[in-house]
Amino acid sequence: MVQRIAGMMASFSGVLMGNSTAPRHWPAWTIYLRTMGLFCLLWYAMSWLTPNKILLPSPLDVASALRDRIDDGELVANATVSLTRLLVSVSIASLIAIPLGLAMGTSRLLEDLLEWPVELLRPIAGIAWIPLALFMFGIGNGLPIFIMIYTAFFPLLLGTAAGVRNVDRRLISAARTMGIPKGTLMRHVIFPAALPSIMTSARLAVAASWTAVVAAELVGAPSGLGYAIEYYRSMLDTPSVMAFIIVIGTLGFLCDAALRSLSAALMPWANAEEKR
Amino acid sequence: MKHFLIRFATPIVLIALWQLFADAFGSPRIPRPSAVLASAMKLIGSGDLVTALVTSLGRVFSGFMLACAIAIPLGILMGSVRTVERNLDPLVESFRPVAAIAILPLVILWLGTGSMAAIVIVAYAAFFPILINTIAGVKRIDNNLMRAAYTMGVPPATRMWVVLLPAALPAILVGMRIGLGMAWTAIIAAELAVGAKAGGEGGIGQMMFIFYAYSVELNGIVVCMIAVGIVALVLDRILRAALHAAVPWSRL
Repeated sequence: MVQRIAGMMASFSGVLMGNSTAPRHWPAWTIYLRTMGLFCLLWYAMSWLTPNKILLPSPLDVASALRDRIDDGELVANATVSLTRLLVSVSIASLIAIPLGLAMGTSRLLEDLLEWPVELLRPIAGIAWIPLALFMFGIGNGLPIFIMIYTAFFPLLLGTAAGVRNVDRRLISAARTMGIPKGTLMRHVIFPAALPSIMTSARLAVAASWTAVVAAELVGAPSGLGYAIEYYRSMLDTPSVMAFIIVIGTLGFLCDAALRSLSAALMPWANAEEKR
Repeated sequence: MKHFLIRFATPIVLIALWQLFADAFGSPRIPRPSAVLASAMKLIGSGDLVTALVTSLGRVFSGFMLACAIAIPLGILMGSVRTVERNLDPLVESFRPVAAIAILPLVILWLGTGSMAAIVIVAYAAFFPILINTIAGVKRIDNNLMRAAYTMGVPPATRMWVVLLPAALPAILVGMRIGLGMAWTAIIAAELAVGAKAGGEGGIGQMMFIFYAYSVELNGIVVCMIAVGIVALVLDRILRAALHAAVPWSRL
């Protein structure tokens, strides 16, 4: 038995070091499974060595906690609340920031007007607004949505403005030469040309507000994934805390993947730039 | 000149409007520029603000250094050895979407509410931007540079210091700049969330929480917010200057 385990360990360490016993080109998903499997094994071993299961529950405990939270509906309910807040606040932020950014990129006056207020406010992280926002909105939906709009606003505004400023001048001159009215110019030339930059900043904005929602809910909302983590921590239910952390990470990843495929669908011509 | 005047005037006009509206309509509780200024004077005078900022900055620097010490060598390794990258990439991609603030409850459980927990949160927040930019920077190095060094018989260690590191440095510094910004945000979130539970050694985040929960000092909160913004700006400028000093050829 001991020998078998030792053999297994040796072959696993061989796998970890990328020994040549493994075929040279494994498909990506098998490598993913192999690495994460190893990680879970290591985690299992460490939790086995930890006497206090509250400190480090085993992966199996976390998996069963995840199932319990799905069964009692808490996971879906809290995830829906957080995702709805994300959707609402990113939509509101884009509705304000993108038109403003388009205007800022085309009008020198507006840029002069907005530049300093934006540069002065931007370094103040959305999270630093939480105490003040608690006064303004109390505990509830208002606080996380405000924090998330604020967090999403600046990347969207600056990304849009930068995108507009980097539009090839010759495109605009050509359109002007052909006598295209201003509105059409904006819709059919400037906006599409700035779209890659807007989508990149949208990805940044979503990632940043997803981080912010967890912080905002942790401090001041009676619902949502951030609140759930804090609640189960106070109950010392570590498996559930870890289950919710996994859910937060997965949803964050899925949101980014959705935005990436959306931008691929919206502007197939920009795919070359997206790929690193 | 005209542009500068407009730029300079807007913040002043906005602040004046804020003062006017608060005086005209707001209750005496509502923060206003004059009261914020008075509160700032008091907090700076008593040294509380400086102490809190120094505490927070100390945690940020320890955590940031820890992140750099792990992420930069690991990033160089992952960027230069394909097998290592392929095998570790799933771990990186799985943990990267998990925000530092989300693991805060776990870290509190493991390390309590003291400085150690704050440092770990900061290190985690700064880790991924530094790692990913380092990997990208190393991978983007012109292969001919490495081959030329190899052909000229430069030993591996020297190759690393003389060719690889300088070539990847711009990307590493960009990662450090992003990471430091995230670290500063994370420390405020951590101190805020820990606020009620920690003892007296909290930094600027805890100071804000105390203003919120105990003394109900809105002006103090605004002073802290402004301080947070100024520190973020200064940290960013320092790293940008470092970037220009270290790699004057790359204007990023």
